[in-house]
Amino acid sequence: MAETKQVAVRVKRQAGPREAARWEEFSLKWRPSMNVIICLRDIAENPVTRDGKKTTPITYDSNCLEEICGSCAMLINGKARMACSALVDQLEQPIRIEPMSKFPLVRDLAVDRQFMFESLKRVKAWIPIDGTYNLGEGPRVSPEVQEKGYPLSNCITCGNCLEVCPQVNEHNQFVGAAIISQVRLFNMHPTGAMNKSERLAAIMGPGGIQECANAQNCVHACPKGIPLTESIAEVNRDAWKQALLGWLVG
Amino acid sequence: MYSTATRPDTSYLLRKLHSFTGILPVGAFLAEHFWSNSAALVSAEKYNTVSQELQTIPFRLIVEWGAILLPMLFHGGYGVYIWLRGKSNVSAYPWVGNWLYLTQRYTGLIAFAYIGWHLYTERWLTHGRSTYANVAADMRNPWYLVFFVVGVLASSFHLGAGIWNFLCKWGLAATVKAQQAAGRLGALVGVAFSLVGILIIISFRYDWHPFSVYLPNR
Repeated sequence: MAETKQVAVRVKRQAGPREAARWEEFSLKWRPSMNVIICLRDIAENPVTRDGKKTTPITYDSNCLEEICGSCAMLINGKARMACSALVDQLEQPIRIEPMSKFPLVRDLAVDRQFMFESLKRVKAWIPIDGTYNLGEGPRVSPEVQEKGYPLSNCITCGNCLEVCPQVNEHNQFVGAAIISQVRLFNMHPTGAMNKSERLAAIMGPGGIQECANAQNCVHACPKGIPLTESIAEVNRDAWKQALLGWLVG
Repeated sequence: MYSTATRPDTSYLLRKLHSFTGILPVGAFLAEHFWSNSAALVSAEKYNTVSQELQTIPFRLIVEWGAILLPMLFHGGYGVYIWLRGKSNVSAYPWVGNWLYLTQRYTGLIAFAYIGWHLYTERWLTHGRSTYANVAADMRNPWYLVFFVVGVLASSFHLGAGIWNFLCKWGLAATVKAQQAAGRLGALVGVAFSLVGILIIISFRYDWHPFSVYLPNR
C-alpha cells in the first residue's frame, strides 16, 4: 500500500577529513516527487537509523533545489549528480549517497570546492569593466556570439565534470572542463577578449588544458548540458596557436 | 594587467609534442610500414625488392633513429607517464569515450612492447637485412604469430583512436558534429589498418600472394 511505502537510504558519514568513514542506513517514509535532498531533510527532522539508533543530522550543501546553484553535487548510487534533481522514484534502492571524491571533505556530504574558485581566478573568468575613468559603452555583442555564449554561462560550478574526469585525481592538478569552458566564454566576449592571451597563457599553465585526455566524461555528467567538449576543443585551438605560432606570426 | 607570463608550461609543450609525434612521425611511419609490407601480398621477390630499397636508403641510421626510434621512444615513454597521472573510472562511468580512454592506454602499452620485440627480432637479429624468408620463418612459431596479430591489432586501434584524440585535442574537430566525424574517421583508419595488417600476416604465414595476378609473366 502507498502509505506504508518506505525508501531505503545509505549515507556515508564522516565527522571530519581525518575521522573514519562509516555508513548509516535509514528507512524513510515515501512521498510523491521525493528527491535526495528531501531524504536528507527527513533524516535531519528525525535522525534515527533503520535499526532505531539515534544519530545526528547529515551535513550537506544545498540551496536552490532547482539545479541552478550548483551546491548539492554528490555521488548518488556511485554517480556524480545534483541531489535536488535526483528523484527517488528513478533510483535503485537502497540509495547510496556519498560525498564527491575529488574535493577535500568537510563533513559527511559537504566538500570544499575552493579549488574551482581558485582556478576561475587563475584564468581571470570575468570581464573587466572598471577603470579609473569612464570607459564608456562596451562593444555590441552579435546575436551569434550571444547564442554561443549563453549555454556556457549556465555553468553552476557544481564540480560534476571534475568528479567524473579520470584526469582529475591526487596525482594531477587538472583544472577541469568547467574552467576551460569559462575561458572560452570570456574570450568570446568582445570586452573579455582584451584579456584573451592572458587567459590562454593561464590555461596552458600547470594543470591546464594539456591535462585533458579526451575521455569526454565531462559532457555526459554536466547537469546543465554545456557543450564542454566543444569548449575544450576551441580553447585548445586558440591555445596552441598562441603557444606555437605566437613567436612566429605574433 | 598584462604581467602574467605568456610562456606556456613545459608540461603543455611536452603534451603537445606527445600528441603530435603520435601522428607525425609515428602514425605516418605505421602507414608507410604497412604499405611497404603489403608488397608481400604481391610476391616474395617484390617484398625483398621493397625491403632492400628501404634497407639501403642514404643516412639510414640517422633516419631510423631521428625519424622513427627516438620519436617512438618519446611517445611511448611520455605516454606511460600520462597514464600514471590518470585514474580510470570506467566501472562507474561506462561511456564510450571513457572506454576509449582506457583502451588507448592498454593498446599503447601492448603496441610499445610489441614494437620493441618486433625491432629485436626483425631488425636487430637480422642486422637490418631482414628478408621475406626471415619473416616467414618467424611466423611458423605459433607464439610469434599470436604476438604479431595482437601487435597489429593494438597498433591499429591505438592509431585510429589517436587520430580521433588528435583532431579533438588540436581543435581541428571542434563541434560535436565534427568530433563525431573525426570518430568515424578514426574507426575507419583502425579497421583498415587492422585488416591490411592481418592480410600481410596471412600472406607470410601461408605464402599467400593474392596480388601476384598483377605480375606480367606468370
